[in-house]
Amino acid sequence: MILGVRLSVAIAAALGTLAVVIIAVLTWKGAPVTSQTFLVTTYIGLFLGALWAMYATGLVVVYTTTGVFNFAQGAIGVFAAFLYWELHVNRGWHSILALFVVVGLFAPALGVVLDIVIMRRLRTASLVVQLMVTVAIMVLLLSVVGDIWEADTPRRVPYLFGINNGIDLGPSQLPWHRLIVFVVAIAIAVSMRLLLRRTRIGTAMRAVVDNRELAALNGARPNVVSSTSWALGSMMGALGGILIAPELGLDPATLNNVVIIAFAAAAFGALRNLPMAVVGAMLIGLLRAHTGAWLDFGSDFRFAHLSIAPLLLLFVVIALPQARLEVGRLAHHLRRHERYTKWWEGLIGCGVVILLAAAFSGGWLDFGVWDPGSWGSRELNSANEAMALALIGLSLVPLIGWAGQINFAPLAFAGFGAFVYLKLAGDTGNGYWILVVGLLCAPLGALVALPAARLRGLYLALMTMAFAQAMSLIFFPHPWVMPIIGTGRQFPHIELFGVTFDDRRGFFLLMVSIFAIFVYALVLLRRSRYGRRWMAINDSQAAAATLGVPVVWTKVVVYAVSASMAGIAGVFWATVSGNVDSVQGFDLLIGFNVVLLVAAAGVSIPMAGIFLIFIPLFKGFGLRLEDAGNVDYLVTLLDIMTTYGPGLMVLGMVFNPRGAIFEMGRGFSPILPWRGDARAEIAAENAQKREPEIGELGLERPFTPEEVIAIDRRLEILDEVVPKEGYGTARS
Amino acid sequence: MSAAPATPLLELVGIRAGYGTIDVLHGVDLRVMPGTVYALLGPNGAGKTTTLGVTSGQIQPHAGSVLLDGHEVNGVSPDRLARAGVCLIPEGRGIFPNLTVAENLRMSTYAGVSYKQVQERAFAQFPRLQERRNQLAGTLSGGEQQMLAMSRALSTDPAILMLDELSMGLAPIIVEELYEQVASLAEAGLSILIVEQFAQAVLGVANEAAIMLHGRIQRTGPPEEIAEELTAAYLGMS
Repeated sequence: MILGVRLSVAIAAALGTLAVVIIAVLTWKGAPVTSQTFLVTTYIGLFLGALWAMYATGLVVVYTTTGVFNFAQGAIGVFAAFLYWELHVNRGWHSILALFVVVGLFAPALGVVLDIVIMRRLRTASLVVQLMVTVAIMVLLLSVVGDIWEADTPRRVPYLFGINNGIDLGPSQLPWHRLIVFVVAIAIAVSMRLLLRRTRIGTAMRAVVDNRELAALNGARPNVVSSTSWALGSMMGALGGILIAPELGLDPATLNNVVIIAFAAAAFGALRNLPMAVVGAMLIGLLRAHTGAWLDFGSDFRFAHLSIAPLLLLFVVIALPQARLEVGRLAHHLRRHERYTKWWEGLIGCGVVILLAAAFSGGWLDFGVWDPGSWGSRELNSANEAMALALIGLSLVPLIGWAGQINFAPLAFAGFGAFVYLKLAGDTGNGYWILVVGLLCAPLGALVALPAARLRGLYLALMTMAFAQAMSLIFFPHPWVMPIIGTGRQFPHIELFGVTFDDRRGFFLLMVSIFAIFVYALVLLRRSRYGRRWMAINDSQAAAATLGVPVVWTKVVVYAVSASMAGIAGVFWATVSGNVDSVQGFDLLIGFNVVLLVAAAGVSIPMAGIFLIFIPLFKGFGLRLEDAGNVDYLVTLLDIMTTYGPGLMVLGMVFNPRGAIFEMGRGFSPILPWRGDARAEIAAENAQKREPEIGELGLERPFTPEEVIAIDRRLEILDEVVPKEGYGTARS
Repeated sequence: MSAAPATPLLELVGIRAGYGTIDVLHGVDLRVMPGTVYALLGPNGAGKTTTLGVTSGQIQPHAGSVLLDGHEVNGVSPDRLARAGVCLIPEGRGIFPNLTVAENLRMSTYAGVSYKQVQERAFAQFPRLQERRNQLAGTLSGGEQQMLAMSRALSTDPAILMLDELSMGLAPIIVEELYEQVASLAEAGLSILIVEQFAQAVLGVANEAAIMLHGRIQRTGPPEEIAEELTAAYLGMS
């Protein structure tokens, strides 16, 4: 860590110098840089930096004191900002009162509830589960915000004390709001630093993440300590959200994306060093303000100045030394039996998938009363979107589920696939190029795999996230990459085997077929040598390496496979979206949703991927029912299931890390006539449950009726004694 | 409870405990009298650490009772017991590796002794810790880490001290040094329960010793006698 801090100091110094040089050169070239505009831009930069520092402080405090990196930090801010708007603007409460209620009461309560209900149970969970759960909380919070405060009303959070009151700075005014933000952010960072280093509760907060049991043996109350951490972290997220909302506007996605900048800032401090995180935030703020003011990247790179944070995050994460990240994080592997899916089982499964999809979309299933009928364009649109996302999701099964390589950039791979296809096939829509897309996306995956080869867990997650964000800010918006944006032209319809798939149902069934092929390929891959190697490096890289598994090559292959699947899926995703808006169409948030979907399906079991097909089916089915009328409760239920289902299922992993699908599969498989093994396993488990321990053979206390039965069984006495009521209790 | 002068400071009565559904302790009875040193010896997997887990509140027994100074403390959380003066130094360096030496000492203040006093006492006993007070504890040598762990026992005036495998993985000379500290604590009248796999180091300080095997205390007696039997126990001839 000491090395890491030194390195980030070096990076900070280098980038700071770079910024100064750029500005100096620009001034020299006669660009409109005056000392006054310089001053104003600097104060805006510092102010932005202060806001991000607040988020970063919350992240670092929670990470150093609980070991959980909270992806939901931004979403907590979003929720708090909306709640503040509701109380202050909509209900007319005084701003101070609203601020107190949200930051002082609601936020800490949310933090404590999160800790008690979820985080406490995550301590022994694997890193993948931990990350997925915080991502699920993020997505759920954003969905709740979207449901409560519908997007159609324009909302604004006012500045504290108004925008026009403040200190006169000559060329412009420094509003009280911004001054307060700056002071508060610095005060929070300083007091958190003092709390963590100079007080006993702060020491205990850090001690608990080191060794919870030992902290208790010292006399600290571990549960109280970690609840305090979560309450504090949540308060900082809430305050950040409320204070940044007047600047960015009340848009959930925009506000949530702030968290990436906070991640970059936190990465500066190796995720643990608070002062460095604040320095990082300030630096990003300054860079962003100055580049935004003076560097013109041209309209081709119109989002480039926004990409400073993701690029910095990418750079810092790759450059940081990786030691000591997973201290004490021994994943609990609960897979007791894993059975390969047989090739013919895979075939049957795929056939069932295609039939189901055809039946649902064609309205072949007659539910009597409801009579859903065949899907119209509305249902098919919705189902097609979900289907394309499910296809992208399948690409994550080998990567995340088997090789344990967390990847938040599936949409970046998908977007690259769409780009390659557009370049190759042009307007013809020739579907055979899709195969080439698959081949050309593999090298991109391999490229990402190279830095990933030395990253693990959390850093890998951050790196892929930064990569996804950089792609959607720099690469996709470029007119050469996706020339159809803004021109009103449609992504061409795919043409295969002489058929143009311009009809939605046909396209849906085409995607379902591709889905089935993917699933089947996964079934075969899992049985292959690479399938085993991926599982091996997931369990233990060191052990795999000592057995002769080439770890780097194995990772490169899994990334290549995943990228090429995602690339092919991306073609379909772009086609579904039609006139695809590259920035939103391949946005990180969609990527999070896809990752979550896959996690909910139980990433590690190939056949569980089939579950992904149900989301599009439910979507279409639900809409169809809505059109048919008078089954409102069912529509609402399906709506809730598709909106909140994946998030809730991932939260369920807290209680059952194997995922709900695994349990469903366990319940389902004994029904299959050829699965004698599953029936035997369940029978064995039940027998074990029924058999009580025999204990001390009645020497210390009389036998209980169960023990009598157990002894009879143990001694193989066939006609078991049926105990009378009260038997054996006379002497007790 | 009883008015007799010889109330044991720590007493286990018929303790059955374990992990999940598997019992490790099958009825353990044990008494540590005030001001004595009790050595619990036995091979790997005998249940020694589990016994300490029960007495420190980390593991709830399925049956039996834990009595501290005559009061039943079943179900009391480990942190409450720690604040009440039950001091367990766990096996394998009971320190926080990512905290500095000084911060580790600050964690010892929950039992009621002030930070300043804890530091004074710890540094008086182990001057080497003072030199390294701002160093991360994880970067200390094995012996220094064990000293840091022991300093909690030395500086917090515990009612009862429990040591789990104090000598594990340490050079003999350091073990000797640590046991000198234990001996002086015993002389000062502290009640101590020591768990060890190997008897030599303990013998000098213990008043009473016991052999534990398969989750039961097989025999108790004077340390010298027990040491002899221990060899037999390890060879499976008990």
